[in-house]
Amino acid sequence: MALKQISSNRCFGGLQKVFEHSSVELKCKMKFAVYLPPQAESGKCPALYWLSGLTCTEQNFISKSGYQQAASEHGLVVIAPDTSPRGCNIKGEDDSWDFGTGAGFYVNATEDPWKANYRMYSYVTEELPQLINANFPVDPQRMSIFGHSMGGHGALICALKNPGKYRAYDATCLVKAYSGSQIDILIDQGKDDEFLSNGQLLPDNFIAACTEKKIPVVFRLQEGYDHSYYFIATFIADHIRHHAKYLNA
Amino acid sequence: MEEEAEEESGLGRSAAPKDFHFYHMDLYDSEDRLQLFPGDSSRIRREVTQAEDDRELGDEFVDEHRLGTLGYPSYGMRRRDPGREPRDWGEAAEAEDLGYGGGQGPLDQCQDLREAYRYTHGRASEEYECYVIPEEEDEEEPADVFCITCKTPVRTVEKDFDTHKEHEVTPISKALEHAKDEIHKNMCKLEQQIIEMENFASHLEEVFITVEENFGRQEQNFECHYNGILETLAQKYEEKIQALGEKKREKLEALYGQLVSCGENLDACRELMETVEEMCHEEKVEFLKDAVAMTDRLGKFLKTKTDVELSAQPEFEDQTLDFSDVEQLMDAINTIPAPSAPVINPQAPDSATGSSVRVCWSLYSDDTVESYQLSYRPVQDSSSGKDRAEFTMTVKETYCSVINLEPNTQYEFWVVAQNRTGPSPSSEHAVYMTAPSPPSIKTEAIRSCEEAVLICWESGNLNPVDSYTVELIQAETPEASGVTESVIGIPTCESLIQLQPRHSYTIYVRALNMGGTSARSEPATVHTTGSYFQLNKDTCHPWLTISEDGFTVVRSEKKSFRKELPPSKTQFTRCVAVMGNLIPVRGRHYWEVEVAEHLDYTVGVACEDVPKQEDLGANSLSWCMRHTFVSKRHRYEFLHNKTTPDIRITVAPRKIGVLLDYENAKLSFFNVDIAQHLYTFSCQLHQFVHPCFSLEKSGCLKICNGISMPKHVTFF
Repeated sequence: MALKQISSNRCFGGLQKVFEHSSVELKCKMKFAVYLPPQAESGKCPALYWLSGLTCTEQNFISKSGYQQAASEHGLVVIAPDTSPRGCNIKGEDDSWDFGTGAGFYVNATEDPWKANYRMYSYVTEELPQLINANFPVDPQRMSIFGHSMGGHGALICALKNPGKYRAYDATCLVKAYSGSQIDILIDQGKDDEFLSNGQLLPDNFIAACTEKKIPVVFRLQEGYDHSYYFIATFIADHIRHHAKYLNA
Repeated sequence: MEEEAEEESGLGRSAAPKDFHFYHMDLYDSEDRLQLFPGDSSRIRREVTQAEDDRELGDEFVDEHRLGTLGYPSYGMRRRDPGREPRDWGEAAEAEDLGYGGGQGPLDQCQDLREAYRYTHGRASEEYECYVIPEEEDEEEPADVFCITCKTPVRTVEKDFDTHKEHEVTPISKALEHAKDEIHKNMCKLEQQIIEMENFASHLEEVFITVEENFGRQEQNFECHYNGILETLAQKYEEKIQALGEKKREKLEALYGQLVSCGENLDACRELMETVEEMCHEEKVEFLKDAVAMTDRLGKFLKTKTDVELSAQPEFEDQTLDFSDVEQLMDAINTIPAPSAPVINPQAPDSATGSSVRVCWSLYSDDTVESYQLSYRPVQDSSSGKDRAEFTMTVKETYCSVINLEPNTQYEFWVVAQNRTGPSPSSEHAVYMTAPSPPSIKTEAIRSCEEAVLICWESGNLNPVDSYTVELIQAETPEASGVTESVIGIPTCESLIQLQPRHSYTIYVRALNMGGTSARSEPATVHTTGSYFQLNKDTCHPWLTISEDGFTVVRSEKKSFRKELPPSKTQFTRCVAVMGNLIPVRGRHYWEVEVAEHLDYTVGVACEDVPKQEDLGANSLSWCMRHTFVSKRHRYEFLHNKTTPDIRITVAPRKIGVLLDYENAKLSFFNVDIAQHLYTFSCQLHQFVHPCFSLEKSGCLKICNGISMPKHVTFF
């Protein structure tokens, strides 16, 4: 699988790059962003995967969240894939903003015409990590996942379905059952998030389930914050630190 | 021959036996040589210089010299260093030989001996170790045996002939050995003697000096005494003469008085005579008139007694001369005076202990002293009426260690010198001070963190001391070689000391005053792992009790309906809380609190002057985490200024880790068991803060100290 570098910018002593490749799972060209911290020049670093929300591409996170400073400080390689396969020319894929293009939901579709291309779960949990491990100075044993909105949910399901694969987990979504190894979840929720107020997000259920299951979660309801990247930017450092605690241990 | 000439003159040689030249032992350097025999030194010198010049020749000559008649093998001479000072008479002797071709006269024997012992002043015997036996230069065959009887070497063949027939022989080599040994022994003895004589000579020199000194002293003594006596005599003479003068004056005055009255008498008589004569020339009637009056007058006049006794005798009484005091003085010439006052030294620094001082004094004169009397008593500030106990001891030296004293106390010392005449005047009074008693460290109040320790102690002395010294030994065990660091000049009974993290230290404290340093206090151990603090009992709300070990806080079940407590600056009156005493160091501090799952508690930090009538977290001077368990739900608040973020925690912590980071202005809370970060305050800490704990319901919490920060904590 050949990688084609699309862009490279020096940022906080490291490099923010974007690559393109032909994906086997998704059967199309896919782009992804990779941040290499300064520490990657001299050794292997842990890998942190970010899953973006609905309508995002690999660009939103790297341009808006300002995460590079924390990533550089903690020496983490951060990989941000796209949110769905692109250019597959499936009928109806652009009909709605929360289904189809830009809305992979990080699951493997089971029905036609989607199931050939829409295999984001496999892409994120298998193909992409293999690609990254082969081409970048990352330690395959130290991996972590987080995300926002749809990506939060995605991070959670990836983690919960693969106990032990990810060191630390981060979700802004519900979880039903988990009986895996030790996990530690940090969730930030903007209080003024409209998705919260209109009931699309149900953190209480999640918390209740975790409490019952004795899964350690710290859930922070941030007064005045919404769903945007401004909210992400404010708390991204805390989250990166949360992951670094486990990845760099 | 010069030698013979000397022999004849015999000037300096009268004492010396004819056979030997005088052994010049150098009492002084050759320049200062005592002119015992004035003639000699110049001779020696001349010879010596000559010897230097002729040394080369000398060697050869010696080798040739025959000693056959004596039977002693001849000894060759080792080549000498040209630079050496030739002061030995051996060479001198050699020079003599040179001068005269060295025939074997009656003195040759002695010469040979001298040569044989090429003695140099003060040299050890190693110079004589190599003896070279020159070849006998007889034309005949060499002798190869030694006849013991005749003490002469002979040839074996000869042996069988008449002279030596019956005699015992021994091979030459053996005889050589034997003779060598003998000579060597004798030489050693000689050397011994030389050393003894040298020692004696230097001793004598010292004695010379002492004699001079003693003489000087006696001379002074006599001069003094005689002057005294002379002065006394002169004085007595003056007095006597003056007394005589007085006496003379008295006599003369008396006599003069008498003379005057005589004169008056005479005048009176004459006047009367004239009057009578005049009367006689008067007419009868007149005459008769006056005659009667005159007769009365005359009668009266003649009745008065004329004193014709001398009022003063011309002779003077015999004078007695009282020389008793002069005799006394003369007798006293041999008595030594009482000594002059000694001078007591000021206290030497660091010479005292807690119970003793070392007092020293000196005598700045040559007075004879048999012993000293050292007296002392404690110095007291107030002029109290009661007697201060005074002690006296007799010592022979000029110093004394006085023991059994009270620590940190000043004593006055004075000393009197004594000899058989009597005591000297007292010296000045000097004040000495004993060192203080050692302090005792308040081990239960030690506060520490990774970088420093705050220790305080009790002085151990009633009166103030000058300063304290803290000694630190960084080692696992004090016995192991650890460098001792000292912090000196501490004015109060506490000290904040910087230390290395994650080490153990043993700490001692000493007190100092002008007398010296006290012994070490009992040690205290400090571990710079995590932070150590104690709960401040003064802040404790009355409904809380602190355990014996000081780390468990309990709020009991029973509700005591007390009336409102009066507001207090130190004690919590509303919030059932207690505060700790954290070491005031702006570094990182970490401690843990163990709580029960359903306990209502508040833990965090607060400034010392946090309002005690308010709840923790209700003001800007406190930051804390509060847990309330109500309706089967856990509620967590992170309070400061009455505000808290909205935080849900799914797993209730049983052990809370608290990290206080002054530098980064952060206060963080953790669930220790699962290494989970709970919350971090960003707080600008301008003042020092202390850990605080409160219990909203009955229950207990346990504080854990001295824990080093877990790794997960270090990320925050």
